[in-house]
Amino acid sequence: MAVAARRLPRYREEVIWWDRIKIPLFYAVLIGWTIVCITPFWLSLVYSLMPKEHVFDMPPKLWPHPFSLDNYRVVVTTFELFPRWLLNSTLIAVVVTIVRTIFCAMGGYAFARLRFPGRNLLFILMLASMMIPPQVTLVPNYLIIAKVFHLLDNLLAVILPGITTAFGVFMMTQFYKSIPVELEEAALIDGANRFQIFFRIILPISRAALITLALFTFQGSWNEFMWPLIVLQTPENFTLPLGLKWFQSEYYTLYSIVLAGSLFNSLPIIIIFFVFQRYFIRSIAVTGLKGV
Amino acid sequence: MSPRLRRKLGEWLTAYVFLSPYLFVFGTFTVFAVGFAFYLSFTKYNLFSPPKWIGFANYTRLLQDEDFIKHALPNTLKYVAVVVPVQTVISLIVAFALDQEIKFRRLFRTLFYVPSVTSSVVISLIFMWMFNKVGAVNSLLKMLGLPSHIDWLNNIHTALPTIMAVNIWSTIGTMMIIFLAALQDIPVTYYEAAMIDGANRFQIFRYITVPLLRPVIFFVVTMGLIGCFQVFDQIYVMTAGGPLGSTLTIAYLIYKNAFQSTTPRMGYASAMAFVLAVMIFVATMLQRRIIETEPYE
Amino acid sequence: MSERKFLTLVTLLILASLLATACATPTPQVVKETVVVTKEVPVEVTKMVTKVVTKEVEKVVTKEVEKPRIEVRLSGWTASPEEENLLRASLYEFSLQNPDIIVKYEPITADYWPKIKTMVASGTEPDIYYMDIFQFPFFAQQEVLLPLDDFMSKSGVKKEDFIESLINAFTYNGKVYGIPKDFNTLALFYNKKMFDEAGLDYPTDDWTWDDLKAAAKALSKPEENIYGFGVPPDAGRFPIFVFQNGGRIMTEDFSDTMLDSPEAIEAAEFYTSFRKEGIGAIPSDVGVDWQGTGFGQGSLAMVLEGGWLVPYLKNQFPDVEFDAVTPPAGPKGEGNLVFTVAYVISKNCKNPEAAWKVIEYLTGLENQTKVLHSGFALPTRKALLDDPYLKENTVAAAIFRGAEFATPFMWGLYGSDVNEEMRKALERIYLEDVSPEEAMKDAAKKLREIFKGG
Repeated sequence: MAVAARRLPRYREEVIWWDRIKIPLFYAVLIGWTIVCITPFWLSLVYSLMPKEHVFDMPPKLWPHPFSLDNYRVVVTTFELFPRWLLNSTLIAVVVTIVRTIFCAMGGYAFARLRFPGRNLLFILMLASMMIPPQVTLVPNYLIIAKVFHLLDNLLAVILPGITTAFGVFMMTQFYKSIPVELEEAALIDGANRFQIFFRIILPISRAALITLALFTFQGSWNEFMWPLIVLQTPENFTLPLGLKWFQSEYYTLYSIVLAGSLFNSLPIIIIFFVFQRYFIRSIAVTGLKGV
Repeated sequence: MSPRLRRKLGEWLTAYVFLSPYLFVFGTFTVFAVGFAFYLSFTKYNLFSPPKWIGFANYTRLLQDEDFIKHALPNTLKYVAVVVPVQTVISLIVAFALDQEIKFRRLFRTLFYVPSVTSSVVISLIFMWMFNKVGAVNSLLKMLGLPSHIDWLNNIHTALPTIMAVNIWSTIGTMMIIFLAALQDIPVTYYEAAMIDGANRFQIFRYITVPLLRPVIFFVVTMGLIGCFQVFDQIYVMTAGGPLGSTLTIAYLIYKNAFQSTTPRMGYASAMAFVLAVMIFVATMLQRRIIETEPYE
Repeated sequence: MSERKFLTLVTLLILASLLATACATPTPQVVKETVVVTKEVPVEVTKMVTKVVTKEVEKVVTKEVEKPRIEVRLSGWTASPEEENLLRASLYEFSLQNPDIIVKYEPITADYWPKIKTMVASGTEPDIYYMDIFQFPFFAQQEVLLPLDDFMSKSGVKKEDFIESLINAFTYNGKVYGIPKDFNTLALFYNKKMFDEAGLDYPTDDWTWDDLKAAAKALSKPEENIYGFGVPPDAGRFPIFVFQNGGRIMTEDFSDTMLDSPEAIEAAEFYTSFRKEGIGAIPSDVGVDWQGTGFGQGSLAMVLEGGWLVPYLKNQFPDVEFDAVTPPAGPKGEGNLVFTVAYVISKNCKNPEAAWKVIEYLTGLENQTKVLHSGFALPTRKALLDDPYLKENTVAAAIFRGAEFATPFMWGLYGSDVNEEMRKALERIYLEDVSPEEAMKDAAKKLREIFKGG
């Protein structure tokens, strides 16, 4: 835009002035929002890295001083089952993420592109099912896991109901609706069937959406609390969030340790986000054309 | 069989095969769970004794329940009316900005997503700490010479807005990522064509980006509506509905009746849940008309 | 990577993970006895215990190989990791004495009541679980618990062995349904340094309401945000003032509330007057979510709390010097609340004899003495009233003495609603400047509607 302004001298002065500060202003807003976004996270990191007696230090500290890894040591070493919880959480999150992402993409593709009887009704029912607050379906869901599947205290009790979700199917449906149909039409004319199209064309070109869904799924499954709490019983089968709750006793809470535990718990998600973030690049048009 | 019919049948079959995993979960869990809850909404059920049929009594009771009519319902509606538009618009603008060729784009994206990975417990703790009477927010206000003795979360006028702010803050990252992913799916050619025609960024955003994103905007708004109508977590941790019901929401009232009452009122909670679901459904259908102009055959 | 390869990889991953999950699931234990003992109840409390114990394991195991083992599931909410270890050590000890019984400990780390109620609703609840007195009336009325009288008489456990108010609290229609495991009452905790600085004598058991008020006045420095006494809008604190004023929260049969009685209204007037006069504060006034923190930080000089405050202060504010006495007496004498937890046996329990043995051991004199000496909780057996530990530990002693005048923290089938309305009434007085009389009367009116509607 700055270039345009120079080329058009008849712009009034204010406009040129605006053009000059526009970019710095833009970055200022971005940086301001960044500060708003990371302050709470940063503060919790700082306070988790100080001895627990300092958790009420005011005014807010921006750097951990005195520094101590004690809270993290307590989180990791207090319970000998800690590695087991980590393993359980990882197992559940990885399986659920892979399975659900693919299944939801399949479902979303069917809703977005295929014609079949009952499509509208099913779609509406799916939307409606998300609108029932989970508090009232908890008990019947528990009954199914306990009485039909006999999976109480089994990691599969957490995995099974999570292999697809209305949220995921809905999300993929909407994404596929916003992808141009030309690519598939070309393939259909070439005689490819729907399965080939889905796995060879659709999955690769919807990479950004798939990664997003996978990220959400991993995060959701990793943090899931109420359902695992209800269906898992023995400490050996706990997930990390269930185990970490152990540090919040009935009567009082030592905040530094809770902060350390929570941060420990979000670490994998941050890493995963950072790693997969690079897939959020505009690549679809290019990849899509190559696919055809 | 005509080839046309065969192709049609093939497509039906394909569709159901694609949908089968979802239908499995839907059929085994959702149908029964929702059906059971619906049945319970016409009963008196304390979890331990068998449900007792009482017809519409739970629904009529709602109309006389002060907690519902005076607190939970208006609070929930206020919450939705403020949070949904604000979170959607901000996250869309942020996503559009981060989709541009700007410096440190990846870094900004990661940092903007940080609120979404921060666990809700930590978020609640930190915000309770920042918004308490002698906390960071009041210290900041004092520095600016503004009134600084507000007990944000323990004041009937400021508690709900504070929770709204926390929720907006913590959801924008997630919504931004959805929009960002959707923006990647818009072919560059569309933008190039617009640029050649001399459109500025605002025009591109208004006439190209937004229309193409319609299905995804519908998705984000719907999820926002569901999330806001069912808002529970932060209220549970930060205020437990107080002070004096000023942050009591329908979802929290459902939880209270279903699980926190010494004698559970599961039937009543279920009735409330279905009233809430109907409200969400109506709101979703209304916004779908506005956003997704292209009808869904 | 080609799509096919990718797909194969994904499929393999899924299969592998599913397999791993299946393997991770514990299979019913029919394995070699030695393994079971050490696996089921691991101990990591002190090295000393572990040593003694390992020796005995070998002995026991060689004897009892053929006997079938009975599994008993035990659930409770989780306390601090240290306290948790104590329970595990006790269970371990028990397994040595009773090699035919395996206690499967299934702790519930959060949302205890939603989970227990969901489990009872579907008949999958553990054999033994913790029962808070507050929740007890509903469980007893619904007949989901096993009466314990027969077991008690068979094994010679007498009601009289336990502190009366505790065991009576878990008696319903003349039958005992729970054996109290520990309890707490409220004590007046005070910050010694703040008293010294103000030149005041430390509180005593003989304090009255007037003494409390005078001290609160002398200790308060509102301009520095320091207050004499904590008066949270909390249904777990306020009722003792009603009792001390000769009132009740509920009628004898719990069918009606007495929150609108003159005694209760007066108590509310007194309780809320502290904050009105600037000599008392609710937690949020001093920027905390719990007055224990305010006490530790030195912004509240006196608070009414239970024994749970001690480990918190020790961990979080190790420098605070404090002590405790029984709460002050009101116009009508002493009054206190007792919070107590019992072990109950589910009606669905398949081996009630074995479950009873576990309870008998855990509430037995030997184990209760251990609990007392650990400092985590106060035991429920009368015999321990004279234990030397209580002489050395003044806070525990104050809490123990409090039980004498205490009423169980329990308001019947709609306890949570009573709590809620009580809290709201106090909040209205504090935040909306409603008169105590109006607030308490409205609360009572609302509660009567709830009792009617169910």
